[in-house]
Amino acid sequence: MKRVCLLAMVLLIILPARAGAKETYSFDLKEIEKKPYSFGGYVEFKPVAFGLDRNSAFYKLRFFDNPKGKNLLEANGKIQLEGSYEKNIFRVYTKTNTDLKTSYSGESERSTFYELYGSVKPLHGLKFDAGKKTMKWGKGYAWNPVAFVDRPKDADEPEQAMEGYILATADYIKSFEGPLKTFSFTPVLFPVYDHVNSDFGNNDNLNIAGRFYFLFYDTDIDLMFLTGGSKPDRYGADFSRNITTNFEVHGELAYVRNAPKNVLDAEGNRYQTEGEAVNYLIGIRHLTSFDLTTIVEYYHNDAGFTEAEMKNYYTYINSGYDAYLSTGNTALLGNALQLAEGGYGRANAMTDYLYARLSQKEPFDILYFTPAITGMMNLRDGSFSLTPELLYTGFTNWEFRLRTGFIVGTRNAEYGEKQNDYRIELRVGYYF
Amino acid sequence: MKKVIILILTLFFALPVYAIDGTALLKEVDRNLSPESFETYRKLINIEPDGRRKEFTLFSVKKGRNKIAALFIAPASEKGRSTLRLGDNMWLYIPNVGKPIRITSLQSVVGGVFNNADIMQLDYATEYDVEKVDDGGKEYLLHLKAKTKTVAYDKLKIWADKDKKLPTKIECLTEKDMLIKTLYFKDVKDFGGGIVRPAVMETDSPLYKGYTSIMIVAQIKERDFKDEVFTLTFMPNIESLR
Repeated sequence: MKRVCLLAMVLLIILPARAGAKETYSFDLKEIEKKPYSFGGYVEFKPVAFGLDRNSAFYKLRFFDNPKGKNLLEANGKIQLEGSYEKNIFRVYTKTNTDLKTSYSGESERSTFYELYGSVKPLHGLKFDAGKKTMKWGKGYAWNPVAFVDRPKDADEPEQAMEGYILATADYIKSFEGPLKTFSFTPVLFPVYDHVNSDFGNNDNLNIAGRFYFLFYDTDIDLMFLTGGSKPDRYGADFSRNITTNFEVHGELAYVRNAPKNVLDAEGNRYQTEGEAVNYLIGIRHLTSFDLTTIVEYYHNDAGFTEAEMKNYYTYINSGYDAYLSTGNTALLGNALQLAEGGYGRANAMTDYLYARLSQKEPFDILYFTPAITGMMNLRDGSFSLTPELLYTGFTNWEFRLRTGFIVGTRNAEYGEKQNDYRIELRVGYYF
Repeated sequence: MKKVIILILTLFFALPVYAIDGTALLKEVDRNLSPESFETYRKLINIEPDGRRKEFTLFSVKKGRNKIAALFIAPASEKGRSTLRLGDNMWLYIPNVGKPIRITSLQSVVGGVFNNADIMQLDYATEYDVEKVDDGGKEYLLHLKAKTKTVAYDKLKIWADKDKKLPTKIECLTEKDMLIKTLYFKDVKDFGGGIVRPAVMETDSPLYKGYTSIMIVAQIKERDFKDEVFTLTFMPNIESLR
């Protein structure tokens, strides 16, 4: 608690000093002088209040031995530090991330390098990178089925920085006159061993991935692949194009050979299925003349769970919970926790989803103010979440976001079985 | 007879104006504002009605008629963001997001009165045809019409100094002549290398009453770039051009 409070106090102290500071505008050439090194960072304080759904499957799974009231409070802090050093054609870049959390389960802290890599750029059209790096492939806003060498994105926070993997990569770029304006190739060497990317997939494999990019007739097109044994081989493609000035359409398609899935049958037996999976996403982004941006995406995850498979899982948790209440035996709930980590507990674990986000820039002439509402629906069971938010970025380097989230769904439906009914959070961020 | 004389006299006085090649004049204005390929450092300042300001510093590079890229170097919250324009296509790269996303000319990556088309301005002659040139004494008034529907403003009225062939004021209009914003060009300065142009561009808009945005040019110089610089893959590396 101490550390998160300290972070909140630091932010509070900086705020009035910056907000009240009188600025004059000038443009001194010293401001644009380039130094070989750079340093920056971001600190964030995020208190969250959850409204718990004490009858939901995930509440029972998480709090069976430590029941809570109707509400739960949590305080989060984040510190990100960024630095680089550049000399001639060489550059080293790093970004660290520290997450602090105070919640019902006590205090926690996790610090890691999000990125730490070296680059060599012998030509404008050629660059080599080696180290820990995020690649972020794909055109989708909420989901990226073709992000073969990235960690899964959080659809609730798609613009958040992500932790990378240790890899070696290169970019080769070539421009042309004519319908094909740009071609680029990004090969990736992706080792997975005991202490290197071991959470990615099967160990002791040197995987190879690659992406080919084309700007062809004003359309962005990518083709990508991943092979090597840590994960089933996969091939993908994506595109993005402006149909009109203010209307963009994008899509992704991924084909996965032998995608495995750990499933629970109606009797509570675990088994693994394997099959081809075709995952895809299609989306639009539209801007009206009055600055309302709409993003709509449909996502199909072939390897996701069906309604029946999810129902079996919820039934299993409920049986485990009843067994715990009557006998104190936690074996079933322990299994259920393992299954949650194995897939049932991940965000958007089922097959078909719709995402819609409406954001209105600067309504009522209030500069830097952006209210938005985001909805995410599980199309299989009709459950959904609705997240209104207010964002203000009017103070230089500050960001304030007030967000609530309402979760709606019946029993045995994905959002209906989440541990919360609603959440309210404030995020205060400062860049330096 | 009187009528014929008046007609001849009218034609006589009108002749010099009609003799002006509008397209050539517009191209001259473009070249006086910047070389075809260049690098520049600019600062954008948004001023709110209560006087509060927010500043953005950009490094921009342009090549030829339709390639331009910009990198935010300040403030810290925007640092590392870059934008790319290839003709009608525009992208924004945000380091956290990690990949370029398509944006549109009417959006604004900085908020305020300047939109993306203002920040990533191509030559006027690339996007507009000259419909008419009026002679206004010390200034020409060029009436421009967008070549395609994808251009941010359907019509422009450019007031250009006759001697310097530099704009002093530009009105941006819709197809139905509704004023979207006015740009005022001030403080003509010698940037070296034969570039003498306004260092300050101020804008206001009836759509943002009381708000003003200012663009200050600190440095501009001719520079050639490889085509590969103006690609999505290069967007995270624009800093290396500085």
